[in-house]
Amino acid sequence: MTSWKEQLGDRIPDQLGGEVDLFEGQIALKKQGKIDDKIFAETRLRRGVYGQRYDNGLRDDGTGQKTLTFPCGDLTKGPDTVWDAPGMMRIKIPFGKLTVEQLEVLSELAEENSDSILHVTTRQDIQLHFIHIEEAPDMMRRLASVGITTREACGNSVRNVTACEYAGVCTTQAFDVTPYANAITQYLLGHPDVQDFGRKFKIAFSGCEDNPCGLVTFHDLGAVAQVRDGKRGFRVVVGGGLGAVPVQAKVLAEFCPEEELFPLTQAVARVFARLGEKQSRARARIKFLVQKVGIDEFKKLVADERETLRPDERWTAFLDDLHATDETPVREAGAVPSGASAGFKAWAEHNLKPQAQEGYYSAIVKLPLGDFTAAQGRALARLARELTGDSIRCTVEQNLTFRWLSGADAETFYEGLVALNMAATGAGTITDMTSCPGTDTCKLGISASRGLTGELRKRLTVIEDELDPAIRALRMKASGCFNSCGQHHAADIGFTGVSRQVGGRKVPHFNIVLGGQWTENAKSYGLVVGAVPSKNIPKAVELITEYYLANREGAESFQAFMARVGKKEFRKVLAPIQKPPSYEEDPSYYSDWGNPREYTIGDIGVGECAGEIVPFVEFGLQEAEQQLHDAQDALEAGQAAIASAGAFKAMVTAAKALVRHLEVQVKDDADDVVANFKTHLHDTALFHDPFAKGKFATYLLKMHDDQSFKSANDEIAHRTLDEAQLFLEAAHACYQRLTEAAATAAAAE
Amino acid sequence: MQATKFQVKVYTRAGDIELEKLIPVFHEWIRAKKISDELLIDVADYAHVPQGPGVVLIGHQSDYYLDVADNRPGLLYSRKRGFDGDFQAGIDDAFRRALNACRLLEEESSLGLEFATDEVLFRVQDRLAAPNEDATYDAYKPALEQAAGAFFGHAPSLERLGSEREPFAVRISTGAGGTVADALARH
Ligand code: HEM
Ligand code: SF4
Repeated sequence: MTSWKEQLGDRIPDQLGGEVDLFEGQIALKKQGKIDDKIFAETRLRRGVYGQRYDNGLRDDGTGQKTLTFPCGDLTKGPDTVWDAPGMMRIKIPFGKLTVEQLEVLSELAEENSDSILHVTTRQDIQLHFIHIEEAPDMMRRLASVGITTREACGNSVRNVTACEYAGVCTTQAFDVTPYANAITQYLLGHPDVQDFGRKFKIAFSGCEDNPCGLVTFHDLGAVAQVRDGKRGFRVVVGGGLGAVPVQAKVLAEFCPEEELFPLTQAVARVFARLGEKQSRARARIKFLVQKVGIDEFKKLVADERETLRPDERWTAFLDDLHATDETPVREAGAVPSGASAGFKAWAEHNLKPQAQEGYYSAIVKLPLGDFTAAQGRALARLARELTGDSIRCTVEQNLTFRWLSGADAETFYEGLVALNMAATGAGTITDMTSCPGTDTCKLGISASRGLTGELRKRLTVIEDELDPAIRALRMKASGCFNSCGQHHAADIGFTGVSRQVGGRKVPHFNIVLGGQWTENAKSYGLVVGAVPSKNIPKAVELITEYYLANREGAESFQAFMARVGKKEFRKVLAPIQKPPSYEEDPSYYSDWGNPREYTIGDIGVGECAGEIVPFVEFGLQEAEQQLHDAQDALEAGQAAIASAGAFKAMVTAAKALVRHLEVQVKDDADDVVANFKTHLHDTALFHDPFAKGKFATYLLKMHDDQSFKSANDEIAHRTLDEAQLFLEAAHACYQRLTEAAATAAAAE
Repeated sequence: MQATKFQVKVYTRAGDIELEKLIPVFHEWIRAKKISDELLIDVADYAHVPQGPGVVLIGHQSDYYLDVADNRPGLLYSRKRGFDGDFQAGIDDAFRRALNACRLLEEESSLGLEFATDEVLFRVQDRLAAPNEDATYDAYKPALEQAAGAFFGHAPSLERLGSEREPFAVRISTGAGGTVADALARH
């Protein structure tokens, strides 16, 4: 055989095959210089082919930034994205469900095209890293031959539809959400109403209110199964999201009957496409639209939109066979043998959950940092073929769950895992951490989230058995930057990467976020307590858990404890470890976990988090939002001086982003930023608001002049924060005007 | 169509290995351009994965793993891109690059590593051009015997490993007892 296309023949469904052929054609055209960079980037992103750190051809080797000289020369696969540079492929796995055969093919691709590691993401996808773009089409064909598409895994589209990994077998579900999640995935894939979003759109299903598995509250649209008067439906929420400023979704419908779910979703999509922000990506998620118009108005808009929809038989066709997605066990149900080994019992305590179906269990394979090898994948597939069938699920906690395991086979399954070194105990406990890719492979990473969780995991695993049950039950999650891909807001102890300047050098830090709630679909988010140097985070975990154990009342949960004692107390606990030693005293603080290179943020690239490339300026604006958010926290904690200094810093960050957007070189210090802002944005009136004119700009100029933020009392701090808020709004608006002007100019050429 | 995704694994003499120590070494190789005719890009750390790829030096043309699969640590050379030259030259080149990386690792005093030459694993990560079946074995056998003989000085014995789902793999017992430096000097 000469090609996969030929070899696989009609095992590739026509539609998918056609799409891959088209993509391959575009690759050829791009190589001939016949496609614009931006358009090509969007094309590949929509097919799940992402960029990866250093793909601009630059990398700091610890002694300065060096050029990576790839053989492709000038050829690019997007603005500033070198053709030959390794990239990531995100493989969309609807509600995380994998068949045995799919797991086998994924494992083959991991070996042949990646580094033999498969990575489970926090949204139930599988990612492969270090892929060459020219190998992507054949990978897609092989995936298509087992019914997987990477289409719309990235880009401004409907992302992977997630659902609880126990859907259908859960003891607390109202009903099985799988057929709904499955049908809506198919309905929306490529649907014309979901092609014109300003940003990505994430949907999640949950089978019940109380458990976390669906995590609907931080999704753009979430549906929680409900039965009312014997009728099936969903409580539908909208406008949730994580990121720099996390937002809890609002209730759109207390009870949406099952036959109305698709039209309601479609109406939401159309309202979002029509009214959602398109220019400023930082505000383009639906959460900003819901905030802007208010949930009541949003409901009205959706209701009106619903009226205009032309009925579509697919809205309800799937309801005729709600068992289409049912799984068939391959073994008879049975009881777990009573004389099982101690090892098995220890594993089963957290990793084996009884199903609603008597005699069957779901087994969780706890993966280290969401990773497993191709050889392990193949061996797991063999186990599944024999014992559980096509019932594998990738979970939001970056594990694999095998459902429909007969109790009678549970120990055999466990022994199989032991042979593969995959029988780690403690799924869903403190040693089962979640992490985004962070600086390992993400272009936006600020700190090494995987390095950190790897280190914490190593340290905690050895003492796992000695931990107090209250500590063992805690969850930890880490994100390498404010984008929050590691879902750290929903953890008891969460970490977000930030960098801090210390004595003229950058030091990797993590902001510690405490008291987020995982249960009840991530009902509340944690609060930022403060930044701690990366290398002190293990110590921080120790201090936090000790403090909690020593001071909790009765069986008080960590959330309740946090709510009672507040951030202030935890700030005191962490204060002694917040300042890193000087470089001369201990240079190890100046590099990150698992990375001996001297720390730099110079490798941060232009993100490809959605659709087209995200300009640097937007990250500046995002960062400013985060700083303002922190400042607000500080004010709440009664730290007026810190709050107003933070607010000033946020303004400077936003100003710097805009100045840089104008391609003016600017240094990091406030004086230089403000001077350049004045020359290039204030004096030119570019920053002027159509109505308020130069008012917002003067907030920054004046504050910089009189330095009032330095000696702020509560009242001044409040005012400073208000002004900073307005300044940031004006900065977003200014950026939008600049982009529009550039677009008009380009069109006129 | 000719496969070029060859892998060659050379095992370490001692069983245990501290993978973390490889991380600074590989970063330094990138900085110092230790493998001068290849573009080295980054280091991927999978030390947390039991029996996994260990620590990987990611390059453009190929990757170098300090791999701990099957609980047998070894240097795994993995070619990712095409190769200019004939079939035999491509196989010889994979052996040479693997052995050369072993030699470089042996020179790193922080590691204290030593590699054995009595056994080598050869794999092809290309199920289209080199499925794990007899026909592939027949096609590769002479070239592998020739390469092993040339590097290790003895007629080797070969054994095909694994099932159809697994990549084409051959265990080569070289009959040699010398060092990697000897092997490199020989061919
Ligand atoms: C502006 C850019 C980005 C933003 C705002 C962003 C935001 C998010 C958020 C909020 C989540 C998770 C929670 C949720 O389900 O809502 C997420 C998921 C994720 N993000 Fe990002 N992200 C960005 C860019 C990136 C990049 C560049 C990477 C790495 C290449 C990345 C990797 C991930 C991963 C692995 C997940 C789990 C995802 C999945 O399977 O969909 N993100 N992102
Ligand atoms: S949180 Fe930041 S570092 Fe982590 S994957 Fe998302 S964008 Fe990258």
